[in-house]
Amino acid sequence: MIRALAVALLLVVTAPQPAGAARVVSLNLCADDYLLLLAPEQAVAVSVLAADPALSVVAAAARRVVAVRADAEAVLALRPDLVLAGPYGAQTTLALLERRGMRVERLGLPQDFPAIAAETRWVATLLGEPARGAALLADMQARLDAVPWRRPQPAVFLGARGYVAGPGSLADAVLRAAGLVNSGRAGQPGLEALAAHPPDLLVTATAPDYPSMATDLLRHPALAGIPRREVAPALLVCGGPWTARAVTVLAR
Amino acid sequence: MTRWLALAVAVLFVASLLTGAAGLGVPEPLILWQIRLPRTALALLVGGGLGLSGAVLQGALRNPLADPGLLGIGGCAALGAVVAFYWGLAAVFAPALPLAGLLGAALGCAFLLAFAGRATSGPSLILAGVAASALAAAMLALALTLAPNPFALAEITFWLMGGLEDRTLTHLLLAAGPIVLGCGVLLALGRGLDGLALGEDVAASLGVPVRRTLRLAAAGVALAVGAGAAVAGGIGFVGLVVPHLLRPGVGQRPGALLTPSLLGGAALLLAADLLARVAPLLLPLQQEPRLGVLTALLGAPFLVRIARQVAPGGAG
Repeated sequence: MIRALAVALLLVVTAPQPAGAARVVSLNLCADDYLLLLAPEQAVAVSVLAADPALSVVAAAARRVVAVRADAEAVLALRPDLVLAGPYGAQTTLALLERRGMRVERLGLPQDFPAIAAETRWVATLLGEPARGAALLADMQARLDAVPWRRPQPAVFLGARGYVAGPGSLADAVLRAAGLVNSGRAGQPGLEALAAHPPDLLVTATAPDYPSMATDLLRHPALAGIPRREVAPALLVCGGPWTARAVTVLAR
Repeated sequence: MTRWLALAVAVLFVASLLTGAAGLGVPEPLILWQIRLPRTALALLVGGGLGLSGAVLQGALRNPLADPGLLGIGGCAALGAVVAFYWGLAAVFAPALPLAGLLGAALGCAFLLAFAGRATSGPSLILAGVAASALAAAMLALALTLAPNPFALAEITFWLMGGLEDRTLTHLLLAAGPIVLGCGVLLALGRGLDGLALGEDVAASLGVPVRRTLRLAAAGVALAVGAGAAVAGGIGFVGLVVPHLLRPGVGQRPGALLTPSLLGGAALLLAADLLARVAPLLLPLQQEPRLGVLTALLGAPFLVRIARQVAPGGAG
C-alpha cells in the first residue's frame, strides 16, 4: 500500500508537463528562488546565477532547468507565458519583450518578514500555487516563533567591502528577528572604527568560493578577536521565506 | 631641499599613524600595528616608488609627460595582479600577487621601449602610453568579468581607482621587498640619466652605457610600480606631478631630481591618504574618498598645465 502510494507520488512528481500549464522564464536570481520553490514544473528557464549554491537556495533544482541570460532573442525562443524579472536591470530587454505582447512581472526586494510574506503570497497567486506559498510561509513563521527570548545582545552585520547593514535592510530584519540588537550604522565605518568599538557579535555572510578583495577584508587580523557567526549568503542575497533559516542560525 | 622633504615625510608618517576613524592620538596596539602601520608604510613605499619612477622616466625618455600611470605601466601591473588574485593563484602562493604585478609592469615597460624605440621624446611615446593604459584598463575589466566572481563590477571600481584602506601586514611584507629593490636600482641611475639628458648620441660619446641605463630604468620602474600597484590598485599622477613640482628647486639635471622625487612622492601619497581618512571626520561622508580619485583630482589640472607648455608636436 505504502509502496503503491510512493509510486503514485513519484508518477505525479515526474509526470510530463500537463498540456496548458504555464511556461515561466525567470531572468533574476530572486525570481529564480521563488519560481523553483513554488512551481518548479512550470519553470522553462532560470537565470545563470540560480545554479550557484553560494547565491541561490534552489541550486540543485536549477541544474535541471535551462539557464538563460536576459537576452530578448533567447527569451522569445523559449515562448514563455510569463517572464519573471527583478526591479532593476535588463529594462531594455523587458520593454522589448512587453512590446512583443509578453507578460512580464517584476518582483520586489522585500527587506523584512511582513514584506516577504506579502511577496510570497503574490508570487504564489501569480503562479497558481497559493497552497505552496502558504506552506512556505507557515515554515517561515514557525522558525521565527521558535527564537528563544534572551538578553538582547549588540551585533553588527558586516558585508563585502566592509559595508555595515543599517535599519531598513534585510540583514537588520534578520538580526532583530534573532533577538539581537543591530548596533551598526549603515555605511562603511572602516575596520578601525569596528576594532575600536567592537560589537558583542559580528555577523558575516560571504561566499568563500571565489577570491575577492571585497571579502578578504573580513579576514583582516584586526577583526580576529570579535566573536563571529557566519550565515550562508544565499539566505540573504534575496529576501524570501528561506531567510528565516538565517534567523535560526543566529538564534542558536 | 632634500632635508625639508625628509622632514615632511617624517611628520606625515607620524601624523598618519595618529589619525584614523577611531580618533586622533595614539590608538590601542591592535589598531596601530594591524591597521594604521600597514596603511601608512604602504603609502610611503608606493608613493616613493611612483615619484621616483616618474623622475626616472621623464629623465630617461626626455619627455615631460612621462609617468608610470599615463604610460600604462601602472595599468599593466594592476592587470597582472588581478589575474593572479581572482583566479586563485595568490591564494595558493601569496607572493604570486606582487610577482604578477611585476610581470605586468615589465611587459608594459617592454612594450613602450619596443614601440617608442629611439623617438622617446615626442608625442608618439605618450600616444603609445595612452593606448597601453586604455588596453590595460579594458583587459582588467574583462579579466574581472570573466573571473568566477559575480560581483565583478564593484571590484573593477576598486582596481581602477586604487586605495590603501584596510591592507594587512602581509600586503606590506609582500610589496616592500620589490619596491625597495626597485628604488635602489633607480637611485643608482643618476649619472646615466644626466648623460641621457644631452641626447643618446652625446651620452654614448661621454661613455654612458645608454642601452644598459634604459634597461635598468625599465627594470627598476617595473619593480617599484608593479609591486605597488599589486596591493594599491591604480593610483595615477603621482609620478607626473612630483618631479614637476620639485624641478624648480633642484634645477634641470635629472640625476639631482631622483632623491627629492622619492621623498616627494612618499610625502604626496601620505598626505593624500591622510586627507582621505580625515575627510569623513570633517565632512558628512558615508565613506572615505578613493585614494586614486584624490591623486587624479590633484594631477589632472597639472597635466593640462604641462600639456599647454609643451609645444604642439614639438619635443617639449
